[in-house]
Amino acid sequence: MKVAKINLKTLKNKAKKEIEKIKDLKGLNEVFNNYLGKKGELTLILRSLEKLPKAKRIKIGKAANELKNILKVEFDKKSQETKERIRKEAEKKEWIDITVPGERPVFGHLHPLTITRRKCEEIFQTMGFTVVEGPEIETEWYNFDALNIPKDHPARDLWDTFFLKNGLLLRTHTSPVQIRYMEKNNPPLRIIVPGTIFRHEATDVSHEFQVFQIEGLMVDKKISVANLKAIVGEFFRRFFEKEVQFRLRPDFFPFVEPGFDISITCLICGGKGCPVCKKTGWLEMAGAGIVHPNVFKNSKLIAKDWQGWAFGFGLERLTMLKYKINDIRLFRSGDLRFLQQF
Amino acid sequence: MIFSYNWLQSFFQAKLPEPKKLAEILTMHFAEVEEIKKDGQDFTLDIDVRPNRAGDCFSHLGIAREIATITGLKYIGDTYVNLELREDKDLKAKDFIQVEVKLQQACPRYTARVITNVKIEPSPRWLQGRLKVCGLRPINNIVDIANYVMLETGQPLHAFDGEKIESQKIIVRFAKNREKIVTLDEQKFDLNPDVLVIADEKKPVAIAGIKGGKLPEIDKKTKVVVLESANFNSQTIRQGSKKLNLKTDASLRFEHGIDPNLTELAINRAAYLIQRIAKGKIAKGLVDFYPKKVLPKIIKLDLDYVEKLLGIKISVNEIKDTLKKLNFKLTETRSLRKTNQIEVEIPSFRLDVNIPEDLIEEVGRIYGYQKIKSVFPISFLVPPKRNLDIFWEDMTKDILKEAGFTEVYNYSFISENDAKIFKSFQNLIELENSMSEEQKYLRSSLIPNLLKNIQKNQDYFSEIKIFELGKVFEKPAKEERILTGVITGDAFFQAKGVLDILLNKLGISNIFYDEYRTAAEEREICWWYPRKCAEIKVDGERIGFLGEISQRILNEFKLKQKVIYFDIFFEKLSKLASEEHEYRPVSKFPSAVRDIAILVPYQVRVEEVLNKIETVGGSLVRDIDLFDIYEGEELPGGKKNLAFHIIYQAEDRTLSSKEIDELQNKIIKNLEEKPEWQVRK
Repeated sequence: MKVAKINLKTLKNKAKKEIEKIKDLKGLNEVFNNYLGKKGELTLILRSLEKLPKAKRIKIGKAANELKNILKVEFDKKSQETKERIRKEAEKKEWIDITVPGERPVFGHLHPLTITRRKCEEIFQTMGFTVVEGPEIETEWYNFDALNIPKDHPARDLWDTFFLKNGLLLRTHTSPVQIRYMEKNNPPLRIIVPGTIFRHEATDVSHEFQVFQIEGLMVDKKISVANLKAIVGEFFRRFFEKEVQFRLRPDFFPFVEPGFDISITCLICGGKGCPVCKKTGWLEMAGAGIVHPNVFKNSKLIAKDWQGWAFGFGLERLTMLKYKINDIRLFRSGDLRFLQQF
Repeated sequence: MIFSYNWLQSFFQAKLPEPKKLAEILTMHFAEVEEIKKDGQDFTLDIDVRPNRAGDCFSHLGIAREIATITGLKYIGDTYVNLELREDKDLKAKDFIQVEVKLQQACPRYTARVITNVKIEPSPRWLQGRLKVCGLRPINNIVDIANYVMLETGQPLHAFDGEKIESQKIIVRFAKNREKIVTLDEQKFDLNPDVLVIADEKKPVAIAGIKGGKLPEIDKKTKVVVLESANFNSQTIRQGSKKLNLKTDASLRFEHGIDPNLTELAINRAAYLIQRIAKGKIAKGLVDFYPKKVLPKIIKLDLDYVEKLLGIKISVNEIKDTLKKLNFKLTETRSLRKTNQIEVEIPSFRLDVNIPEDLIEEVGRIYGYQKIKSVFPISFLVPPKRNLDIFWEDMTKDILKEAGFTEVYNYSFISENDAKIFKSFQNLIELENSMSEEQKYLRSSLIPNLLKNIQKNQDYFSEIKIFELGKVFEKPAKEERILTGVITGDAFFQAKGVLDILLNKLGISNIFYDEYRTAAEEREICWWYPRKCAEIKVDGERIGFLGEISQRILNEFKLKQKVIYFDIFFEKLSKLASEEHEYRPVSKFPSAVRDIAILVPYQVRVEEVLNKIETVGGSLVRDIDLFDIYEGEELPGGKKNLAFHIIYQAEDRTLSSKEIDELQNKIIKNLEEKPEWQVRK
């Protein structure tokens, strides 16, 4: 069967050529069927073998099966190549506009004062201070008398006070908690007292009648002004996350002696003078001082046994500087356009 | 308080530092200079003299003394003390005026001098200039001199026309009921026994320490001037000033307290100036009521204590020098030296120095606090205690934040109008001195202000979810923390879901929502829809409410959408909360889901159905999920359709379909025992 032999050779060449030309999977499938499909040329040859004499059958059968395997490999190879090419072409087209805004999960917001309050608490807790709280309705004793602020003395005018018809008042500072705590806890002690306080005064961009204060108190056997400076300096450094210059200057609060005002270099102008610091270059941040012996006495402690200092920071002030907020009244405005920025 | 730079300069021979520098020195060592202003040829310094130093430093002399101490410049103000007055031997003060003080406690000292033959004129330009710089209006030479000496020494003075004082007698006494006085500026005051007055035989002629009366006023014809330089009890003057609502330069100084020894120096200074300027004759003698002379105080100072308190070593010599510069006298004896102590005599004008700590302040501030180096305290390592109140507060806020709520801080006050709208607010604490109608009461609920927040924001936000955790107050003096949230829209079940998550995260289980039965008398005043309100209970105890704000309240606050609120008693929540939590192993065996749809009468509560399924299903029913409630029109009248996924799972084996089907059929059978319930197949 000469014809058959020639057929196999030309068939091989023809098939290889055709496979080479193919561009897509559909074409590949067609060509595959033409040769190896049910009615494909090679299939037909293989099927016709049984009619041949044995010797021929073996010979041609072997060659035809070899060709079948060769073609299968060729088809597989071509198929892989084509798929790869198509994938690459398709990948080139795959595109999303990544500038389309993201879909945000709906999250709420903590009040900025909560955020900074936590930060203050964390800083002082890592320095060994326990956080304690006290009542907002106070007696005259705890708010004034016990703090060495005598009745009928102009020093009381330093604190404009809301009085209540039940004979009590709204605390004007967190300092009453000094007494309340020391009545129940013996030194040595380190506390901070965050809390709301009230001042009977008109409001403007930097004044508010209800604000948040953070009181600090440290009492031990030998606690000095130098120690106060160290703790306060550390606090500023950690709160503002940078080196902040601060100063102590003399001031007067009846429950401390000596008393100080603590100011920092204006963070807005860097100390050159601007409207925020009223051109002084300094911003008052806290009142502070060495605990007055009468405060120990009024807390039922023996004054000469103990030494300590106390300070009171305004949380709004700290928060305003931290976030460059220009009006203190925003904090209690309930304005979501403000609150949802935090 | 305003001080004149030039005036301060006059107490020194050497040149003072320039105003800005001087201000800085004073700020760092004495009191804050709040403002420096140029005023013609002069500068004014606005110094915030603190109340403890008012006694000696509401005066140019006092500030000059401070400058001398801080800068070391030589101070020549003391020459005033030794003024040599040329008294007229032929005139005796006693013949012109007699003084009687009824109550020594109210007036520890009263000194008077008499100057005759004065010529009343406008005062010289230099004197007028100094008064004006300090904000005082010149009147005539006598009055101006009295004011001038007050600004200079801090001692308020008053000048009477001696011929207008009845019977030449000055009586210091409390006013009688129904007595009246017209002051120099023609204001009329009704007096009372709380007000101390200067009177003659018949009537009050001045309000002691506060303001002079019109009657014995100095006028153009005045020939005899009676000068008063008195010391009044600070509380008495403060009381009177408050009663009459009248504050003056004099009352300001007296209410802070002044050294009684100052009256003499001041009156002599004034008499001297009157003689020089108004050409008067000074009658011989100082009329002086001063039964109990105030002597200098002595304080023992332990020199080691200075270092212990300031935290820096200052040499003993420097400490002593500083105290001497402050006009304190030091005594050292052998026995004192042994214990490293000194005795310090405090001049009587330093009313603020009473204890060793006061002396240490003097040493510290003159030395300069800026020179004290920071030193960390050495202390026992006592770990800070955890504050659980704050811990649960923080956790609660975080959970609500994650659930999409924004935290607000509102004022602790509500208005008269709020109280009227929320008729059910009981026991509100009223303010004694509120500044506006907005702060008439302390809030007993956070809701009114939260509703105002919604009102304010509703034009900018379509959905509002806010909360506040703060104090509420009730009579007699109760204050407690409360957590309140509000959501706009038809969000009752959203709020309920948030509460479930909140309570679960706080480790609280056994939550039960009970229908709140609004009492008949409550219906008219409540702020919620009477039949849309649940009590939130944990272990049977009520911990708060969940409800929808009534239309009446929405209208009052002009709210455009429905509002759902929840109110949680935070003190209770905080006690129930727990960090304990136990892991429940995940079953290794698969779960299977079967659905049930059931038609029930409208009034049947979902909980009833759930309870039945749970009871029958037992431990093999792991979860029941209500996925649909349908109340459409095509359903038979008054019915609703509930659809549940029931999740079956065992801990110890794979459930067979047969087992599940049997259980499911048992549940269905049980549900259908109720004649009106119909499981849809």
